[in-house]
Amino acid sequence: MKVKIKQWNAVSVWQWDVPNDEVCGICRVPFDGVCPVCKYPGDDCPLIIGKCAHSFHLHCLLKWLETETSKGLCPMCRQPFETADDAQQQQQVEETQRLHHHHRRTSEV
Amino acid sequence: MNALPKRISKETERLVKEPVPGISAAPHDDNLRYFDVTIDGPTSSPYEGGTFKLELFLPEDYPMVPPKVRFLTKIYHPNIDRLGRICLDVLKSNWSPALQIRTILLSIQALLGAPNPDDPLANDVAQKWKEDEKTAIQTARDWTKEYAKA
Repeated sequence: MKVKIKQWNAVSVWQWDVPNDEVCGICRVPFDGVCPVCKYPGDDCPLIIGKCAHSFHLHCLLKWLETETSKGLCPMCRQPFETADDAQQQQQVEETQRLHHHHRRTSEV
Repeated sequence: MNALPKRISKETERLVKEPVPGISAAPHDDNLRYFDVTIDGPTSSPYEGGTFKLELFLPEDYPMVPPKVRFLTKIYHPNIDRLGRICLDVLKSNWSPALQIRTILLSIQALLGAPNPDDPLANDVAQKWKEDEKTAIQTARDWTKEYAKA
Protein backbone atom coordinates (compact mmCIF):
# COMPACT_ATOMS: atom_id res chain seq x y z
CA MET A 1 0.00 0.00 0.00
CA LYS A 2 1.31 3.39 -0.87
CA VAL A 3 0.53 6.31 1.37
CA LYS A 4 0.78 9.87 0.33
CA ILE A 5 1.29 12.31 3.19
CA LYS A 6 -0.69 15.43 2.53
CA GLN A 7 -0.04 17.23 5.74
CA TRP A 8 1.66 16.60 9.05
CA ASN A 9 1.98 18.34 12.41
CA ALA A 10 5.10 17.98 14.48
CA VAL A 11 4.61 17.71 18.22
CA SER A 12 7.42 17.92 20.73
CA VAL A 13 7.82 17.93 24.48
CA TRP A 14 10.38 19.91 26.43
CA GLN A 15 11.39 20.09 30.04
CA TRP A 16 13.99 21.88 32.07
CA ASP A 17 17.10 19.91 32.86
CA VAL A 18 17.15 20.44 36.62
CA PRO A 19 19.03 18.52 39.28
CA ASN A 20 17.30 17.51 42.55
CA ASP A 21 13.84 18.94 43.14
CA GLU A 22 10.89 19.00 40.84
CA VAL A 23 9.14 21.99 42.32
CA CYS A 24 10.37 25.50 42.98
CA GLY A 25 11.21 25.76 46.69
CA ILE A 26 9.59 29.19 46.81
CA CYS A 27 6.25 28.97 44.95
CA ARG A 28 6.00 25.12 45.07
CA VAL A 29 4.95 25.00 41.42
CA PRO A 30 6.75 22.41 39.23
CA PHE A 31 9.76 23.83 37.38
CA ASP A 32 8.09 23.02 34.09
CA GLY A 33 5.21 25.26 35.16
CA VAL A 34 5.36 28.99 35.70
CA CYS A 35 6.08 31.30 38.62
CA PRO A 36 2.98 33.00 40.08
CA VAL A 37 3.50 36.06 37.87
CA CYS A 38 4.01 34.45 34.45
CA LYS A 39 1.47 32.93 32.07
CA TYR A 40 3.68 30.88 29.75
CA PRO A 41 6.42 28.44 30.76
CA GLY A 42 9.74 28.26 28.96
CA ASP A 43 12.15 31.02 28.12
CA ASP A 44 9.78 33.69 29.47
CA CYS A 45 9.94 32.17 32.93
CA PRO A 46 13.44 30.71 33.24
CA LEU A 47 15.10 28.88 36.11
CA ILE A 48 18.17 29.83 38.05
CA ILE A 49 20.59 27.36 39.60
CA GLY A 50 22.80 28.30 42.52
CA LYS A 51 26.33 27.21 43.35
CA CYS A 52 24.66 25.38 46.23
CA ALA A 53 22.77 23.35 43.56
CA HIS A 54 19.36 24.67 44.64
CA SER A 55 17.13 25.80 41.77
CA PHE A 56 14.19 28.19 41.60
CA HIS A 57 12.10 30.07 39.09
CA LEU A 58 14.27 33.11 38.39
CA HIS A 59 11.37 35.48 39.14
CA CYS A 60 10.66 33.82 42.50
CA LEU A 61 14.29 34.02 43.58
CA LEU A 62 14.76 37.65 42.50
CA LYS A 63 11.66 38.64 44.44
CA TRP A 64 13.06 36.92 47.53
CA LEU A 65 16.54 38.45 47.17
CA GLU A 66 14.92 41.90 46.95
CA THR A 67 13.54 41.53 50.48
CA GLU A 68 15.60 42.70 53.42
CA THR A 69 14.93 39.47 55.32
CA SER A 70 16.65 37.42 52.62
CA LYS A 71 20.09 38.90 53.43
CA GLY A 72 21.03 37.52 50.03
CA LEU A 73 20.75 33.94 51.25
CA CYS A 74 19.43 30.84 49.51
CA PRO A 75 15.98 29.99 50.95
CA MET A 76 16.86 26.30 51.20
CA CYS A 77 20.34 26.21 52.73
CA ARG A 78 20.83 29.83 53.91
CA GLN A 79 24.19 30.13 52.19
CA PRO A 80 24.85 33.34 50.24
CA PHE A 81 23.11 32.76 46.92
CA GLU A 82 25.52 32.73 43.99
CA THR A 83 24.68 31.67 40.50
CA ALA A 84 26.37 28.53 39.32
CA ASP A 85 28.72 30.30 36.95
CA ASP A 86 29.99 29.21 33.59
CA ALA A 87 33.37 28.19 34.94
CA GLN A 88 31.73 25.85 37.41
CA GLN A 89 29.38 24.45 34.81
CA GLN A 90 32.36 23.89 32.53
CA GLN A 91 34.07 22.03 35.34
CA GLN A 92 31.03 19.84 35.82
CA VAL A 93 30.98 19.05 32.13
CA GLU A 94 34.66 18.16 32.20
CA GLU A 95 34.14 15.95 35.21
CA THR A 96 31.35 14.11 33.47
CA GLN A 97 33.52 13.70 30.41
CA ARG A 98 36.37 12.41 32.51
CA LEU A 99 34.06 9.92 34.18
CA HIS A 100 32.83 8.76 30.79
CA HIS A 101 36.37 8.49 29.57
CA HIS A 102 37.42 6.58 32.65
CA HIS A 103 34.44 4.32 32.27
CA ARG A 104 35.32 3.65 28.66
CA ARG A 105 38.86 2.76 29.54
CA THR A 106 37.92 0.43 32.37
CA SER A 107 35.43 -1.32 30.18
CA GLU A 108 38.11 -1.81 27.54
CA VAL A 109 40.34 -3.63 30.03
CA MET B 1 -9.20 40.60 45.35
CA ASN B 2 -6.36 38.67 43.74
CA ALA B 3 -6.62 34.94 43.10
CA LEU B 4 -5.21 32.72 45.81
CA PRO B 5 -1.66 31.59 44.89
CA LYS B 6 -1.29 27.87 44.15
CA ARG B 7 1.16 27.49 46.97
CA ILE B 8 -1.44 28.59 49.53
CA SER B 9 -4.13 26.23 48.25
CA LYS B 10 -1.59 23.37 48.18
CA GLU B 11 -0.50 24.08 51.75
CA THR B 12 -4.10 24.30 52.94
CA GLU B 13 -5.03 21.06 51.24
CA ARG B 14 -2.15 19.21 52.86
CA LEU B 15 -2.84 20.72 56.30
CA VAL B 16 -6.37 19.35 56.13
CA LYS B 17 -5.53 15.97 54.54
CA GLU B 18 -2.38 15.19 56.51
CA PRO B 19 -2.65 17.19 59.72
CA VAL B 20 0.34 17.47 62.04
CA PRO B 21 -0.34 15.58 65.30
CA GLY B 22 -1.45 18.01 68.01
CA ILE B 23 -1.94 20.86 65.56
CA SER B 24 -4.98 21.95 63.56
CA ALA B 25 -5.31 24.78 61.06
CA ALA B 26 -8.44 25.62 59.07
CA PRO B 27 -8.97 28.62 56.80
CA HIS B 28 -12.04 30.85 57.06
CA ASP B 29 -14.55 30.34 54.26
CA ASP B 30 -14.69 34.05 53.52
CA ASN B 31 -10.94 34.67 53.79
CA LEU B 32 -8.68 31.84 52.71
CA ARG B 33 -5.62 33.67 54.05
CA TYR B 34 -6.95 33.71 57.59
CA PHE B 35 -6.63 30.49 59.62
CA ASP B 36 -8.03 29.31 62.94
CA VAL B 37 -5.27 27.33 64.59
CA THR B 38 -5.04 25.13 67.66
CA ILE B 39 -1.87 23.75 69.20
CA ASP B 40 -1.82 21.15 71.96
CA GLY B 41 0.66 21.80 74.74
CA PRO B 42 3.65 19.42 74.45
CA THR B 43 3.82 16.51 76.89
CA SER B 44 6.01 17.05 79.96
CA SER B 45 5.77 20.82 79.55
CA PRO B 46 3.70 23.08 81.83
CA TYR B 47 1.29 23.43 78.88
CA GLU B 48 0.52 19.71 78.71
CA GLY B 49 -3.21 19.02 78.60
CA GLY B 50 -4.01 22.47 77.22
CA THR B 51 -5.32 23.32 73.77
CA PHE B 52 -4.22 26.78 72.69
CA LYS B 53 -6.05 28.83 70.09
CA LEU B 54 -4.11 31.01 67.68
CA GLU B 55 -4.84 33.09 64.61
CA LEU B 56 -2.65 32.96 61.52
CA PHE B 57 -2.75 35.35 58.61
CA LEU B 58 -0.89 35.08 55.31
CA PRO B 59 -0.06 38.63 54.10
CA GLU B 60 -0.35 39.54 50.41
CA ASP B 61 3.42 39.06 49.94
CA TYR B 62 3.52 35.58 51.51
CA PRO B 63 5.79 33.56 51.08
CA MET B 64 8.25 36.44 50.65
CA VAL B 65 7.20 37.57 54.13
CA PRO B 66 6.37 35.30 57.09
CA PRO B 67 2.81 34.53 58.23
CA LYS B 68 1.49 36.66 61.08
CA VAL B 69 0.70 34.45 64.05
CA ARG B 70 -0.72 35.33 67.46
CA PHE B 71 -1.96 33.39 70.48
CA LEU B 72 -5.62 34.03 71.29
CA THR B 73 -5.60 31.86 74.41
CA LYS B 74 -3.97 33.47 77.42
CA ILE B 75 -0.61 31.80 78.09
CA TYR B 76 2.17 32.27 80.65
CA HIS B 77 5.38 32.01 78.63
CA PRO B 78 8.53 34.21 78.54
CA ASN B 79 8.49 34.50 74.74
CA ILE B 80 4.77 35.30 74.36
CA ASP B 81 3.40 38.63 75.54
CA ARG B 82 -0.02 39.49 76.95
CA LEU B 83 -1.31 40.32 73.46
CA GLY B 84 -0.35 36.85 72.30
CA ARG B 85 2.53 38.08 70.15
CA ILE B 86 5.29 35.51 69.74
CA CYS B 87 9.04 36.10 69.84
CA LEU B 88 10.42 33.52 67.45
CA ASP B 89 13.29 34.06 65.01
CA VAL B 90 11.68 32.21 62.09
CA LEU B 91 8.66 34.52 62.33
CA LYS B 92 10.90 37.55 61.82
CA SER B 93 14.54 37.82 60.82
CA ASN B 94 15.07 34.13 60.11
CA TRP B 95 12.05 33.64 57.86
CA SER B 96 12.66 31.80 54.59
CA PRO B 97 10.14 31.05 51.83
CA ALA B 98 11.25 27.42 52.12
CA LEU B 99 9.38 27.37 55.45
CA GLN B 100 5.63 26.93 55.45
CA ILE B 101 2.57 27.06 57.69
CA ARG B 102 3.17 23.57 59.07
CA THR B 103 6.84 24.11 59.89
CA ILE B 104 6.04 27.43 61.56
CA LEU B 105 3.33 25.85 63.72
CA LEU B 106 5.73 23.05 64.66
CA SER B 107 8.30 25.67 65.70
CA ILE B 108 5.70 27.34 67.90
CA GLN B 109 4.81 24.00 69.47
CA ALA B 110 8.52 23.43 70.10
CA LEU B 111 8.77 26.89 71.69
CA LEU B 112 6.13 25.81 74.23
CA GLY B 113 8.34 22.86 75.14
CA ALA B 114 11.48 25.02 75.39
CA PRO B 115 10.83 28.49 76.85
CA ASN B 116 13.78 30.82 76.40
CA PRO B 117 13.84 33.50 79.14
CA ASP B 118 17.10 34.93 77.76
CA ASP B 119 15.31 36.26 74.69
CA PRO B 120 12.13 37.51 76.31
CA LEU B 121 9.09 39.26 74.92
CA ALA B 122 7.15 39.27 78.16
CA ASN B 123 9.75 40.82 80.47
CA ASP B 124 7.92 40.20 83.74
CA VAL B 125 7.39 36.53 82.90
CA ALA B 126 11.00 36.09 81.79
CA GLN B 127 12.29 37.68 84.97
CA LYS B 128 10.13 35.41 87.10
CA TRP B 129 11.31 32.44 85.04
CA LYS B 130 14.94 33.28 85.80
CA GLU B 131 14.48 34.17 89.48
CA ASP B 132 12.10 31.43 90.51
CA GLU B 133 11.63 28.86 87.78
CA LYS B 134 9.61 26.52 89.96
CA THR B 135 6.91 29.10 90.70
CA ALA B 136 6.92 30.32 87.10
CA ILE B 137 6.32 26.80 85.81
CA GLN B 138 3.53 26.35 88.36
CA THR B 139 1.90 29.59 87.17
CA ALA B 140 2.17 28.37 83.57
CA ARG B 141 0.45 25.14 84.66
CA ASP B 142 -2.29 27.05 86.49
CA TRP B 143 -2.93 29.29 83.48
CA THR B 144 -3.09 26.24 81.21
CA LYS B 145 -5.72 24.70 83.51
CA GLU B 146 -7.68 27.93 83.72
CA TYR B 147 -7.56 29.22 80.13
CA ALA B 148 -6.55 26.38 77.80
CA LYS B 149 -8.96 23.62 78.73
CA ALA B 150 -11.41 22.74 75.99
